[in-house]
Amino acid sequence: MSAATKLYKTSWCALRQLQQYRTKTNFSASIDKRNDLFNQEQRRQRDAVGRIDKIEVRYLGLPEDVTLVMNSNISTPFNCAQHLSEGHCKRSALALIDGSVPWDMHRPLQESCTLQLLNFHVSEPHVVNKAFWRTCSFMLGAALNRAFKPEANLQLHSFPGPNIKSGSFVHDIVLQTQTWQPSKEEMRAISAEMVKLAAQDLRIERLDVQQDLAQEMFKDSKYKSEQLPSIAQQTQGRVTLYRMGDHIDISRGPMVGSTGFLGKCTISAALKVAEEGPASAFYRIQGVALPAGFQLNHVAFGILEERSKKPSPARLPNEPFEEQQQQLQLS
Amino acid sequence: MNQADVTKLMSQLRIAVRPKKRNLKNADGPEGRLLKLRKTVTALVKHERIELFYNRADEARGYAELLISNAIRHGDRHNATMELADYWLLEKQLVHKLFKVLVPRYENYTVSYTRMYKAPRDYPGIYYRQSVLELRGNPYPSLLADHSQNRNLLQNVLLDEARKEFRRQKLSDLVN
Repeated sequence: MSAATKLYKTSWCALRQLQQYRTKTNFSASIDKRNDLFNQEQRRQRDAVGRIDKIEVRYLGLPEDVTLVMNSNISTPFNCAQHLSEGHCKRSALALIDGSVPWDMHRPLQESCTLQLLNFHVSEPHVVNKAFWRTCSFMLGAALNRAFKPEANLQLHSFPGPNIKSGSFVHDIVLQTQTWQPSKEEMRAISAEMVKLAAQDLRIERLDVQQDLAQEMFKDSKYKSEQLPSIAQQTQGRVTLYRMGDHIDISRGPMVGSTGFLGKCTISAALKVAEEGPASAFYRIQGVALPAGFQLNHVAFGILEERSKKPSPARLPNEPFEEQQQQLQLS
Repeated sequence: MNQADVTKLMSQLRIAVRPKKRNLKNADGPEGRLLKLRKTVTALVKHERIELFYNRADEARGYAELLISNAIRHGDRHNATMELADYWLLEKQLVHKLFKVLVPRYENYTVSYTRMYKAPRDYPGIYYRQSVLELRGNPYPSLLADHSQNRNLLQNVLLDEARKEFRRQKLSDLVN
């Protein structure tokens, strides 16, 4: 018994060390720096709350309508769900404030409001579906970051607004090669990274920061720092960031509460969009996914996979960014 | 090889049966266990949907499947099957139900005759896993939500769009 425990412990420690080693080599120092800044800002915002005010949250839904007394700027819809049941915590992907405003599960509530918890099975799931599609694009960024070696010199560009009817979610990247023809195995490896992320069940955090802090965080990323001014211009100098594990990206949100909501997932195509500079090129990665718990037979899912390989009609990354933002606003 | 085909000798069940039986802790020993299971099989045939502990349901399910399967194979003019029905069904009017209602219902089935669901455990309560055991084709409303009707669910949106695109493609092929 004790020998077995010891063996288990040593192998666990070895694994931990290995993981740390991997983290150090694979992810550059800039990601650590970015996460540090994110943590600091999160802590600063939490400390800035000061005296805690109580708010009344009127929960509407099953099993019964109740009024919860929560903490302003601290309590999240997830905390409200914790007061209801474990099932509510696990199932709820998105909250709906005052019957109309979609609100992330882990974003603190600001004032008294009504609250509905949405899952993928509600009768009008448009809002949750959109949030899910956006989260898929965001997760795809993280999966690509993990899948590529540093030599590939991967830079995430952006992802257009979610359009479910196009049949695929999209993430645009820049790679230091102009002749990448992905094989089936490579695509499957990226899909596997997505599945791993889903299995880790990482919490998706949201943070609103000032533009200069965002600039500081993304100063290593050429494309993100180019995009930041025009994003901040539209939102009065505030930029919304999302974090999942140690992957941070810019997005307007909302997103679902955790990566665990991703069920069946296939990254089906990587299409070359345009050349960028002398040695790099824009690629558009596309995939299709379903929320966890949705049963779909493999023939039907195969049809969806085939369709998701077609080029998405969303605006391309090499076109001017301002127009892309206007497109986003309209969608 | 001069070996008999086993599937011709006894019913092949369409469910996975555990290789070892469960003892189902009982003060009366094996007889007590069998009485428990007979009660469960009787209740299943009578009520068509019952909620009970997972272990007991899973154990009784195999016997219920075997009973129905034998009834379909041999009919009501077969001594051994009638004895089996007499043993497993404690309320004798259910023997009629087995041969006159369940056998016609399941004659042409290609799937199992019973269905089992995991059910939530009441908290706080006994820690045993709960389950629902039912006969297929029962008159109660389904326990699973029907996702095929809500066109707004993600999979249905995706499939509808795929269908539209396919039709558009066909039309344009016809025109050209």
